[in-house]
Amino acid sequence: MLFTRRLMLGLAMAGSIVSALAVPAMAEGPTEIDLFFPVPVDGKLARDMGTLIKEFNDTHPAIKATAVYTGSYDDTLIKTRASIKAGKPPAAVIMSANFLLDMQIENELTNLDPLIAADGTTKEQFLGQFFPALQGNAVINRSVYGVPFHNSTPLLYINADKAKEAGLDPSKPPQTWAELTDWAKKLTKREGDKVTQWGIAIPCAYDYCGWMMETLTMTNGGRYYNEEFGGEVYYDTPSMLGALTWWNDLVYKHKVHAPGATPGPAVSTSFISGNAAMMMLSTGSLTYVRDNAKFNYKVAFIPRNVRNAVPIGGASLIVPAGVEADKQKAAWTLIKWMTSPEKSAWWSRATGYFAPNMAAYKTPDMVDFLGKNPDAKTAVEQLDVAKPWFATYKTVPVRKNLEDEVMLVLNGKKQPKEALVAAQKAADETLKPYNAETSLKLP
Amino acid sequence: MSLAEPAALPVAASVAPRLHVLKRFSSRFKASLPAYLLLLPSLIFLALFTYGAMGRVFIDALYQRATPKAPVRFVGLDNVNAVLADPAFAGAVINNLLYAVGTAIPSIALALLFALALARTHAVNSALRAALFLPVLIPMVAASALFLFIFLPNVGLLDHYIGRLLPVLPNWLGDPDIALYAIMVITIWKNAGYYMLFFLAGLQAVPEDVMEAAHLDGAGPYQRFRHIILPELKPTFLFVIVIATLNAVTQVDHVFVMTKGGPSNATNLVLFYIYQQAVEHYDIGKASAATLLTLAALMGLTALSFRTMANREGGP
Repeated sequence: MLFTRRLMLGLAMAGSIVSALAVPAMAEGPTEIDLFFPVPVDGKLARDMGTLIKEFNDTHPAIKATAVYTGSYDDTLIKTRASIKAGKPPAAVIMSANFLLDMQIENELTNLDPLIAADGTTKEQFLGQFFPALQGNAVINRSVYGVPFHNSTPLLYINADKAKEAGLDPSKPPQTWAELTDWAKKLTKREGDKVTQWGIAIPCAYDYCGWMMETLTMTNGGRYYNEEFGGEVYYDTPSMLGALTWWNDLVYKHKVHAPGATPGPAVSTSFISGNAAMMMLSTGSLTYVRDNAKFNYKVAFIPRNVRNAVPIGGASLIVPAGVEADKQKAAWTLIKWMTSPEKSAWWSRATGYFAPNMAAYKTPDMVDFLGKNPDAKTAVEQLDVAKPWFATYKTVPVRKNLEDEVMLVLNGKKQPKEALVAAQKAADETLKPYNAETSLKLP
Repeated sequence: MSLAEPAALPVAASVAPRLHVLKRFSSRFKASLPAYLLLLPSLIFLALFTYGAMGRVFIDALYQRATPKAPVRFVGLDNVNAVLADPAFAGAVINNLLYAVGTAIPSIALALLFALALARTHAVNSALRAALFLPVLIPMVAASALFLFIFLPNVGLLDHYIGRLLPVLPNWLGDPDIALYAIMVITIWKNAGYYMLFFLAGLQAVPEDVMEAAHLDGAGPYQRFRHIILPELKPTFLFVIVIATLNAVTQVDHVFVMTKGGPSNATNLVLFYIYQQAVEHYDIGKASAATLLTLAALMGLTALSFRTMANREGGP
């Protein structure tokens, strides 16, 4: 008897598990699509995204979009790749703009050209809505694979009160490396050997470090990578050597920059607390600084040594490979709606990123906003000299090849030249498989 | 491991020994069928989410593609060899060994100290135990975010207090010479209270009469500790060492949150290396091979320590 009772119990348990696993039948109705979105800055974005998607669903009864929060940019890439492998990709994803090339190489993106053609527009007309600087990361082999959604550039932030204290005029911010070095020296305060206030802080953690190296190299006249081909980076070059040597000098020669690698949040905290008088950081931090700085601050272009130039950052909307035709169409409707001037402007004001759609800056709300916040205008103006964000085959490891060496330099463990030679060697090794089937695959 | 239990059920003992082997097996199976049925739900989930995934890792570890567009093909042990030849993996293993030793010994020593100090139960001790146990209740990710602020260079809590004493403020997480130790401090802070619980339980099991006898014989506190308490705590020690070592490999949330293995790979641990291979390099073959190596090392270690434990407990 005991056995039968055990048996019954076992069967009952197994039964309940099976019924719990049973999938409910699909309901007929609007086209249901998922949008994967990361939150790179802070939790508030998640709420803003909810508001945006709700408005889309209210105005588009034929489509039911669901916004799925997927963590950081990196996590979003992982989850998108996992869902593509599982055969159930989301219809659209907000993807870090420099992951697009790698995904295209891996055949993980839907070519958007047919969707653009189906609207009766040309690629040029479609892309023409966006700032030219953003197009480089959206177009691969002359096909459109991404639509810019929110973007950033690095900026120079200056504590205007401290500048005045030091006898500097914050309305004439430093424009060259020489001027910046001079400012940083005047803004550094010491008690004996101990520094109580740093002249400048530049972030260096994985991801940020590569972006800042690209920034410094570009203002030194150089390029970080081959914009036309994903198999080459230019680490061991005079322009990058000059950039890294200057950064190293700020730390060890002029002693106006704290030694070691400092991540972005530590840099912004340092600036907000008055421990660093200037910093180079993303325009994406502008809202944070505006809300938290208890002093007058000023933003300016990144100073140049050879020319004014900055890379873009931020994210694009993509459609993963393997999305069915009806969902592709629904996703395309969503993407066009989200990147329209009004929505683009609204998202920009909510987040601090700039709006990629140029018409966004002509909307009345945005004109009003820029009138009240001239610092946001500086970020947009710098776009004229902006260029694409580095994207290669295996972007992240190739970037890390450089970052690991830069971190050694900032910690006084290597000299710039030997560090860049090592970084170049490591990156060439990482890029080898791609070159083997492209540039070095000979007839 | 729960698989082994139904076969050991005493039900089988009632079967006559002269029966045919197959028959004996089938009747034994019939007898333990209810047990298997009861295990079925958890078996389904284990198969789906543990053994299935492990099998997949095992298969993935044997495949690789030569170039991005090339098809995936069987390569045997090439992935394992590639992992073993990778200096980043060797670096991660060395870091992990340092990290394991540097977190296990201090946290176990602290745990034992806490347990000895708070062995007697009364109100004050209970409150202190709760205070020491508190870090265990905080999720590792939350704790890491907390320590990010404590470790902030120049403006963080630590520099705010220690900074006055040091000539140059260290960049706790940004200096490759210090970062791993900073990470270790968090682990020790987080785990010591947890291990204290095991030692408290172990101390309850120290026979009262033996302690009294030692007391009467004039044994001092050190002698009692050295010759009675420590030997009695041996199984606890072994168990805690195993747990601490496993934690050193599997609990790396703070590396993800705080340093991402940096600066310059100074805090790169084995699990984070696997993550990098899988996500950043998108090299599933190498990631799977590294996972297998880690799994093998961990299982070997666990088997060894449990065997030693069984031997000691089984002794006279």
